[in-house]
Amino acid sequence: MVTHEAWLTKLFNAHFAAFANWLLALFGQKADNPAEPWADFITMQLLVAAIILVLFLLLRSRLSVDKPGPLQHVFELIHNFISGEAEGQIGHDGHRHIVVFETLFIFILVANLIGVIPGFVSPTQVIYVPVGCALIAFLYFNWVGIQKRGAFKYAAHFAGPVPWLAPLMLPIEIISTLARPMSLSVRLFANMYAGEQVTIVFLGLTYLIIPSVFMGLHVFVALLQAYIFMLLTMIYVAGAVAEEH
Amino acid sequence: MMRKLFFLMSVLMFCAIPMFAQDQGGAAGGGHNIWIPVAAGLGMALASGLCGIGQGMAINGACQGIARNPGALKGINNALILGLVLIESLALYTLVIAFYMLLSKEGL
Repeated sequence: MVTHEAWLTKLFNAHFAAFANWLLALFGQKADNPAEPWADFITMQLLVAAIILVLFLLLRSRLSVDKPGPLQHVFELIHNFISGEAEGQIGHDGHRHIVVFETLFIFILVANLIGVIPGFVSPTQVIYVPVGCALIAFLYFNWVGIQKRGAFKYAAHFAGPVPWLAPLMLPIEIISTLARPMSLSVRLFANMYAGEQVTIVFLGLTYLIIPSVFMGLHVFVALLQAYIFMLLTMIYVAGAVAEEH
Repeated sequence: MMRKLFFLMSVLMFCAIPMFAQDQGGAAGGGHNIWIPVAAGLGMALASGLCGIGQGMAINGACQGIARNPGALKGINNALILGLVLIESLALYTLVIAFYMLLSKEGL
């Protein structure tokens, strides 16, 4: 029920429509409305990626061992936090997977929070973006498990600890593993979408104080959901990499 | 006391019977199916209520744990937040179904 496009999407549709149509034709797809192939969530995702890129380029140019600036302090805080969580969940091997965790966390955090600014739309409010992030997490933890144990042994660990339990454990484990990306994506999408809808409903009823309370709740939930996405990915990787001592 | 309450409740329920007399299509609010908003609201209310009970039990356990062992605050906090979010997501699955029903062709 999008009634109007964000200004960025209008800009993209005005100048880059031909590029998008060509890209879609490369995959055999056709846009619903060839005059406006760019959707809100695609342009906002590109904007979020550009913001993160610029931020990190800025950070990199200001890195210093002797006199760290405030930007470096903030990112060291974030990195130590994620590093500590990864070590806590996965153990001594955690530092190898921090790249994926940190990327997911910062991308989802900025994507969630950008919707609070008027004129911008959160890309995670559309189901496609959380599904994309959840697919990355799903493919990653499966790939890590296969890499560590080999494809056959990784599939065999679904059978459970004891061989005679295997006919019972196998369907349960497979279904619960397939349910993981679904739950990750629906959790993130539903929280963001519901937060926006609640704010809109209260903006229709009254003004200023009550809607801003709900918007504050939405900001808190955005932070929490980004953290939880990353934490659950860590738990799944820990489950795939776990060794029986 | 319970018998009076039960009698009152049943009288209130019977007063709602004329609702079935209205015609099915194009009623106020619904598109083609008047039961969709009812189902969405009822389902969501049920899911939220049960989610509230579950989260209350989680917070109960966490508060008792912190009271008994204040040194374990960090670990209990982590477990609490994780548990609350997982329980919350169950209510959100129902919300997604409710939205899917409401925004479909036969809904609003």
